Amino acid sequence: MLDWAISNRIRAVLLMTAGALGLGMLVGNAQRGPLALGTVLEVLVGWSFVACGVFIWSRRPANRLGRLMTIVGFLWLLGRTMTLVPNPFVYTAGLWLTDLWAPAFALFLLSYPTGRLSSRADLAIVAVFLFVTVPLEFLWFLFLVLDSGLNALGIAPNESAAHVIDTIQRVVISIGAALLVIALGRRWVRSSSPVRGRMVPVLAGAIAILLQSTSWIFFSSGASHELLDDLIFLSQIAIPIAVLSVMLRSRIARAAVADLVVELGQTPTLARLRDALADALSDPSLQVAYWAPNQDRFVDAAGEPVELPDDGTGQAVTMLERNGVREAAIIHDAILLEEPGLVASVASAMWLAVENDRLTTEVETQLQEVRASRARIVEAGDLERKRVERDLHDGAQQRLVSLSLELRLARNALGEAGDPAVRRSLDRAADEAMAALSELRDLALGIHPLILTESGLGEAVESLADRASVDVTVDVGPERYSPAVEGAAYFVISEALANVTKYANATRALVRVRCLADHMTIGVTDDGIGGADPRAGSGLRGLADRLAVLDGTITIDSPIGGGTTVSATIPTLPPMPPPVPARYAATHLDDTMDE
Amino acid sequence: MSTILIVDDDPRFRTQASDVLGSDGFVVVGEAVDGASGLEAARSLQPDFVLLDIGLPDIEGFEVAQALSINGPPPFVVLTSSRDARAYGRRLANGHFLGFIPKERISGAAIRALVDRG
Repeated sequence: MLDWAISNRIRAVLLMTAGALGLGMLVGNAQRGPLALGTVLEVLVGWSFVACGVFIWSRRPANRLGRLMTIVGFLWLLGRTMTLVPNPFVYTAGLWLTDLWAPAFALFLLSYPTGRLSSRADLAIVAVFLFVTVPLEFLWFLFLVLDSGLNALGIAPNESAAHVIDTIQRVVISIGAALLVIALGRRWVRSSSPVRGRMVPVLAGAIAILLQSTSWIFFSSGASHELLDDLIFLSQIAIPIAVLSVMLRSRIARAAVADLVVELGQTPTLARLRDALADALSDPSLQVAYWAPNQDRFVDAAGEPVELPDDGTGQAVTMLERNGVREAAIIHDAILLEEPGLVASVASAMWLAVENDRLTTEVETQLQEVRASRARIVEAGDLERKRVERDLHDGAQQRLVSLSLELRLARNALGEAGDPAVRRSLDRAADEAMAALSELRDLALGIHPLILTESGLGEAVESLADRASVDVTVDVGPERYSPAVEGAAYFVISEALANVTKYANATRALVRVRCLADHMTIGVTDDGIGGADPRAGSGLRGLADRLAVLDGTITIDSPIGGGTTVSATIPTLPPMPPPVPARYAATHLDDTMDE
Repeated sequence: MSTILIVDDDPRFRTQASDVLGSDGFVVVGEAVDGASGLEAARSLQPDFVLLDIGLPDIEGFEVAQALSINGPPPFVVLTSSRDARAYGRRLANGHFLGFIPKERISGAAIRALVDRG
């Protein structure tokens, strides 16, 4: 691709040349009589095109529009200035250049805003203007009779032939202008309202040229209506300025789009992509088509096939590719191509946002799966603990009970008779069996406290307190929770009390469980030496993991010399009411013993 | 001589408990393998004591004890288990029973101690 960047020097040369040509026009006309308003306006038309064209050219070197406008301006100025020179060749060339301005202007209007024609119909319209200004113009020059004798091409002077050709030219160029208005009008009708705003200058230009060409039909050769001409000149001065201002506005819009992308990045979804793009690019007609590789075609968000528009429909397509793989097509107003890369960059940014969103969703889904599986693992672990406890109860515990009783029976049978050594041996064996049973029960209780599932957290904690080596105050209500919550809470308290016994050097401890609307708080406080390191040992780590399954947390506050407080929070469903109290209500027996 | 009914699903324990209590001066008037047959036997045999396992296959010992307390003068119920008291917590604190003795400590003396306390 050619680098059409314009240097400051060339820009200065172009502007100064245009200035000089314009001044030449003014001076030349002034020498022939009082300067008409129309002449001044004519110069301003040329300057306006060149100045705005050079400006756009320097800002958007890749866009042909700036260069095209500059050419339109120069044709206008150069042709008119040259007709002031009393030399047949210069004059004839000047006159021809003046008329060649028309196809250049039509090309400018039709190729706005990209600087490129988008359809054959547009090309045909430009061809109509070229037909009038090249072959017909040449023919006209052959017959044209000029009083000044400055027609260098007038080899067969024939006034009536020249007049006929001139009329044909005016009619054909009016048809061309009408086609121009229709083409741009159709584009305008199809455009979305913000885009219509940008179309106004060229539509106005097309209408101006139509008015001008039709006025040439109605007013006899060379004597057009001065006021109409002045008005048309005024509109032609305004057109480049309007185009420039649209270009500048869209630069601002581009900055706004960038903000929008950032904003959209936070909450995009594939479904919202179309709307977001349409908003960001001010094109309500915008469509997003996704490439479906298995169907080998584009589909919309609902999976329906999408046809990409042809050239000349006023719609354009911007392909989105990643790593060379086509992903989507943005169907949008062709006018958006005026901002090179705008659609692609905005769409890519949004696409990234959507992709990011998709990945986030994926990660969240995976996280949920991991959470669910972690919960299942804990649940399975709890079930396994229950099973092991039951197996111990049904197996080893029963056998040790049986062994103890059998030893006692043997000892009773022996009475005071027999070998004292055998009696002592039997006593020791019975003691051993009892001790083994006691250890086994401790183990079973640690694996799964039956009391927790049978009677709930309150009683299970009471039971823990009874076994603790320090004086434990229990402040736990009789409410029941889900097995998972009760299990987690129990093991937190159990571990904390075990630590009180092992490390705290405490005399008292307080266990408090509070059930609030949607969570349970657990506090285990002792009056010991403090200084516990929560990082030491795996017990607390395991508890934190276990709580995390339930989205619970655990913290330890243990200032040296200030006791230790273990606090935990577990989200819960509202607690269940405690079971009907005193199902086995005491009547005649109030006091019992454990053993 | 006090009569006693043993309700437990473990035949080995029934035999051993029967032997232990028999040698300690109790008259074992019957044995039952579950809560339902235990209730039936208690009704027909009218024992002074019932040695009742908590973990019966059909009805939990606590509920059997409650059922026994209805209709007529109830027997003294002694709950037992191969688990110790810690597994049952407050549920052993009060109810329609005399008390709890872990299985390996079953003896005539232990039962009488409960009676003395009650």
